[in-house]
Amino acid sequence: MQQFFLIVGTGLCFLVLLCLYRGVFGPTVLNRLAGISAIGTKTLVILLLMGFIYGRVDMFVDISMVYSILNFIGTLAVAKYLETKGEV
Amino acid sequence: MIRTTDDVIIKTVSRIFTPFIQIFALYVIMHGHYSPGGGFQGGVILGAGFILLVITQGLDETRRRFSQKLDTIFCSIGLLVYSGIGMLCLIIGGNYLDYSKLSKILPVLAAKARSLGILGVEIGVGIGVMAVMYSIFSDIVTGGE
Amino acid sequence: MEVTLLVHATDQAFEIIENARRQAVELLNSTVGLAAEEQRWMEEKRIRALFTGAQAVKTRRLNFLGTFFILFFVWCILSGHFDVFHLSLAVICCGLVAHMSYDLLFANVRFVDMRTIAKRFIAYIPWLLEQIVLANIHVAALALNPKMPIDPKIITFKTKLESDVSWVTLANSITLTPGTVTVDIKEGVFYVHALSKKVADDLNTGEMEDRVAHVYMEADHIYIQDVLDMARIYGLLKGIGG
Repeated sequence: MQQFFLIVGTGLCFLVLLCLYRGVFGPTVLNRLAGISAIGTKTLVILLLMGFIYGRVDMFVDISMVYSILNFIGTLAVAKYLETKGEV
Repeated sequence: MIRTTDDVIIKTVSRIFTPFIQIFALYVIMHGHYSPGGGFQGGVILGAGFILLVITQGLDETRRRFSQKLDTIFCSIGLLVYSGIGMLCLIIGGNYLDYSKLSKILPVLAAKARSLGILGVEIGVGIGVMAVMYSIFSDIVTGGE
Repeated sequence: MEVTLLVHATDQAFEIIENARRQAVELLNSTVGLAAEEQRWMEEKRIRALFTGAQAVKTRRLNFLGTFFILFFVWCILSGHFDVFHLSLAVICCGLVAHMSYDLLFANVRFVDMRTIAKRFIAYIPWLLEQIVLANIHVAALALNPKMPIDPKIITFKTKLESDVSWVTLANSITLTPGTVTVDIKEGVFYVHALSKKVADDLNTGEMEDRVAHVYMEADHIYIQDVLDMARIYGLLKGIGG
C-alpha cells in the first residue's frame, strides 16, 4: 500500500510543478493567484498521503485543515485587495 | 475603511464558517501536547478568523462584536497569564516557570502539575497572539486612526 | 416692432417650458431614487424586525443552544479524548465561542423548520453526488476527444429562491458539478458559464433549483415530495379521526 501512496504522491508533485509554471510566468497577478490557489489544494492531498506513509494520519489531518483555512482566507484577502485597486 | 463585500456567496459562506474556525483554533490550543499545535498556532488561526470577519463584513460590524477596548485588554491579559504563572512558580519557591512547584497549591502530582502549567501558558500566549494580530491588522487598514 | 416683440415673447415662452421640463425630470429622478432607497430600507427593517421583542430573547437562546451543540459535536469528532478534564475544557470552549458568535450560524431561519431542513438536506446530498459523477464522465469524454467539441457560453436565469442560504447552496451545487461554474449573482439573477450544450440543457430544465427549493421549503409550486409528505400526515390524521 505504501508503494501506491508514494507513486500517487510523486504524480501529484509533478502536477504541482505544472501549476507552478502559471504561478511564475502568469502575465497578470490574477493568473498567479489562481495558480497558487490550485497548488494549495494539491498540497492538502500530498500532506494527507504523507500521513498515510508515516502511519500517523491524525496528526497530518490537523495540519491539512489548518492549511486549508489559511489558503481560503489568504486568497480572499488578495482577491479583495486586487478588486478595489489597492484598498481592502 | 473596509466596506463589506457585496457578493452573496462570500458573505454567507464566511458567516457560516467563522464559528467552526474559532472552535478549531481553540482545539489546536488545548491539544498542544497531543498533536501539532499549541499556543502560537491556535492564536494565529483565531486571529485569521477575525480577519476573515473584517474582510467580508466590514470593519464597523466586526468592531461591534469585538471592540478596540476589549482587544487592548486581551493583549494585556495574555501577557499577564503567561508571566503570572511564571511569577507564581517563583513565589512558591522554585525557578521561574518551574511548573512542578504548582503541585503545592493544586491537589495533583508533579507531572500533572507540569502539564497544567504548560496548558495555562499556552492559553495566555494564544489570547495574546490573537489580540495583537487583530490590532495590527485594523491599525494598518485604517491608516493609523 | 411687433414681430420682434412676438419673437421675444416666443423665446421666453420656450425658456419657461424648458425650465419646467428640466425641473420635472429632476423631480422624477429624485422620486425614483428615494423609492429605491426606501424599498431597500424597508427590506432591511423587515429582516431586522423578524426577531423583535420577546421573540428575540427566545430566538437568541435557541440560537445559542443550537450553536453550542453543533460545536460540541465537532469538538468530539476532532478530539478523541473523552475523560472529564477534556470534556470540561470542551464545554468551556464551546460556550465561549457560542457566546461570541451565536448569531452567525443561524441568521434568519425559523427554529421550527430546522429539523425538517436538516433531514431534507441530508437526503439531497446523495443525489448531488450522483449528478457530479455523471457530469464528470461527460466532461472527461469531452476533454479527451481529439476534436474537443465544447461550446462555452454564459447562461442567465432568474431564480425563484428567496433566502441567501438557498442561493449559496444552489450556486455551490452548480459549481461542484463539472461543466458549469457560477460566475456571479446579481439581484436574484444567476450568471452561469456552461461548457457544452448538453450541460446547459441539463441546467435549464431547472431540476436542481426545484430540489434546492424543496430542501429549504421555499417554492410555492407543487413538488411531488411535498404531496407525498402531506399525504402521509393526512392519512395519519384521518386514521385518528375516523
